Amino acid sequence: MKDHSDAELVSQARAGDGESFGELVLRYQRPAYSVALSVIGRHQDAEDAAQESFMVALERLDECRNPARFAGWLLAIVRNRSRNLIRRESLRRGDEIPASASSSGPSPERAADISALRGRLTEALSTLSEVQREIVLLHDLEGWKHAEIAERLGMPSGTVRSHLHFARKALRVQLSEWKDYGKGL
Amino acid sequence: MNTKDRDRKAGRGSPPVGDTNASRTREVRASLEIVDPGYRLPGYWERFHATVMERTAFELARRRRLARESVAAVLSGWSRSLIPVAAAAAVVAAFLVGSEVRYAADAAPPLVLEDVLAAEIEDGALQGVVGGQVPANPVAFMALVEGNVP
Repeated sequence: MKDHSDAELVSQARAGDGESFGELVLRYQRPAYSVALSVIGRHQDAEDAAQESFMVALERLDECRNPARFAGWLLAIVRNRSRNLIRRESLRRGDEIPASASSSGPSPERAADISALRGRLTEALSTLSEVQREIVLLHDLEGWKHAEIAERLGMPSGTVRSHLHFARKALRVQLSEWKDYGKGL
Repeated sequence: MNTKDRDRKAGRGSPPVGDTNASRTREVRASLEIVDPGYRLPGYWERFHATVMERTAFELARRRRLARESVAAVLSGWSRSLIPVAAAAAVVAAFLVGSEVRYAADAAPPLVLEDVLAAEIEDGALQGVVGGQVPANPVAFMALVEGNVP
C-alpha cells in the first residue's frame, strides 16, 4: 500500500477502500495539522480542523479532479476549514498548546523548559504571516522540499524560498531574544 | 521523524563551519519540533489516525455499498435492455429469412457454365466431339465448331 501513488489510493478510496484512505491519512495527517496550526495557532483547534478536513475530503473525494495532486487539494480544504473555524464566534479562546504530557514524558523541570519554549515559539510564529507559518512548518517540521511545497500550495518555488527565508529570519530574531532558547532540549 | 532524518529527506547537508546563519536555521528547525504534538505526546499520531478512521468509517461503508449497488445497477440495466434488443433481432431475422425464401422461389434458374460454353455451337460439332471424331487439324476443328463443314 505504501508503494501506491496518491492517484491510485484516491481511486480505491472512492470505492470505499478503508486501507487506501487510511494510507492517505497516514501520509498527510502531519502536513494537514501543520497547515491548520499555521492558520489557527492553537493545538486543539488545529487538531479538530485537520481531522474534520479528512472527513470533508472523503465526502468530496469525487470532486478531486486531479487525484495525483491530492495533497494540494487536501491542504486547500484544511486551510479553508481552519479559516472558517476562526470566523466562528464559538471559537475557543486561550487553549494554547496544552503543556500536559504523559506520565512517561520529561521531568517537571524539563517539561517547564519545553512549555516555555513552546510558548515562545507560538508567539514567534504568530508574528509571521499565515503563508510564512505554513511554509516554515511544512519545510522545517514536515521536511517537505521547496518544490513539493510550491506544487502543493500552487506558488512558484522562488516565492516559497523567499517566504521561508523571511520566516526563518523573523523566527531567529524572535527566538534569539530568549537567551536560553533551545538549551538542553 | 527526527531532525537528521528530515535533513536527509530534504537533501540538506551540514552547513559550512562558521556559518552562523545556517546554524541558527538548524536551531530554528530543531526548536520547531516542539510544536509537533507527537514530540510531547507519545502515540499522538497513531491516535490521530485512529480517530480519523473512526470518524470516516460510516462514509467509507456508504461508498462501498454505493460501489456494489452501481455494479448491480449496471448489470440490471444491461439485462433490461437486452430483452427488447433480442426480440427486435429475432423479428429482423425472421423477416430476412422469409424474404430470402420468396426471392429463391421467384428467381430464374441459375446459369450452368457448360450451357454457356456450348451456346451457339452446332449440334453436329458437339456430337463429333462427344463421339471422339475430332479432326486433328485445328483449322478443320474450328471449321467444324463454326459449322463451316465443307
